[in-house]
Amino acid sequence: MRIGDILINPSKIICVGTNYMDHIEETKMDIPKEPVIFPKTLNCLIGQNQPIIYPKILYENKKLNRVDYEVELAFIIKDRCKNVIKSEAYQHILGYTVFNDITARKMQVKDIVSKLPWFRSKSFDTFSPIGPKIVQHGEILDPHDLKIELRQNGETKQKSNTKFLLFKIPQLLEYISKFFTLEPGDIIATGTPAGIGPIQPGDIIEAEIEKIGILRNYVKLEEI
Amino acid sequence: MKIENISINPTKIICLGRNYVDHIKEMNAPFPKEPVFFGKTINTLITDNKPIIYPKILYKDEVNKRVDYEVELAFIISKNCKNVSKQNAYDFIFGYSVFLDMTARNMQVNDRNIKLPWYRSKNFDTFGPIGPKIVSHDEISDPHNLNIELKVNGEIRQSSNTKYLLFKIPDIIEYISQFLTLEEGDIVATGTPGGVGAILPGDKIEASIEMIGTITHLIVMEGA
Repeated sequence: MRIGDILINPSKIICVGTNYMDHIEETKMDIPKEPVIFPKTLNCLIGQNQPIIYPKILYENKKLNRVDYEVELAFIIKDRCKNVIKSEAYQHILGYTVFNDITARKMQVKDIVSKLPWFRSKSFDTFSPIGPKIVQHGEILDPHDLKIELRQNGETKQKSNTKFLLFKIPQLLEYISKFFTLEPGDIIATGTPAGIGPIQPGDIIEAEIEKIGILRNYVKLEEI
Repeated sequence: MKIENISINPTKIICLGRNYVDHIKEMNAPFPKEPVFFGKTINTLITDNKPIIYPKILYKDEVNKRVDYEVELAFIISKNCKNVSKQNAYDFIFGYSVFLDMTARNMQVNDRNIKLPWYRSKNFDTFGPIGPKIVSHDEISDPHNLNIELKVNGEIRQSSNTKYLLFKIPDIIEYISQFLTLEEGDIVATGTPGGVGAILPGDKIEASIEMIGTITHLIVMEGA
């Protein structure tokens, strides 16, 4: 896929859960001792200005009709790597972008409570807007000092700074690459701050990170 | 990747959990009302006769030192599809293969108990052997009547038949494709029967399904 003027060919998307203290408090999760990771599949990816499709099977089900935005700082892997050490982490990062980890919240909570995987609630088509461009590591002096914000129909809903990340990018890369080989183009989303909330068909969602830009998507009900 | 003489280019691997009654009982898991599924990432894939790497971080950790085999019937998607109905399911199946859903069991159980995702335990490199070939749908008259078996060092550990699948293949495709677009080459593994158990470096696994064949894998310590 093309993000701005850079073409990437990701083989996977890895998301970090519960990685901002304020979000951990609002979701009443335990503070993790090590990063919590889960996948999203590639069918989720959409770019700037493309619609987020609100699934009909959620919309028409009173127990499941809640879909949330989650703005996140994502980084893109530059080269194939495994067992990366913290001090060399940035050598393997191509750049940074804005990611929106759209989540079927009621379905996720229901699955978590029943000890089921965090998967179906996260991996509907179009549930991972990304963009508007990839800013290279060299252009961002400190990825841990960027304002991060999300607006719904112009109203600010999430507002934080990447300095509040619990596990920092080098730790995340060291941790994740102990488990899996990362491939060029792979996307790692670092978690969302507090203020998550539901979207509705018709909404315009703007996710913004300082020095990267505004990722803008509108929400549309699925037509079957 | 190439499975015997057929090239496939999967974008994702979807696995069913809890889909044979005897396995549900041995895991003390509740009976699912609808299919339980989770994702494996592409870094897990290896083909017949390639080693399964036993991760050092599991081997050296008394709490997490358990890696299990799980033999499964997998099917490969023939073309992109969404919202498939049961009746048309077989139109979207390219063929069948043998899949091993290798699982870091203690890590999975511990993660599940603290309501974390089923992800890291399933996605170490080499944890998704597949092969030895893809048998096309036409060549298998009934995918729900195939003997399925797994041997460790020549000794039978799992022995069942795909007729005991709780959710059948058409149900599975209909269900999963409500959530996500399945793409050409995607792999769907249908779950494992009872008899799961641990392996160690030096072991040899042979996983067989009637009318498809046998995949053989040696377990090798990481870095050895």
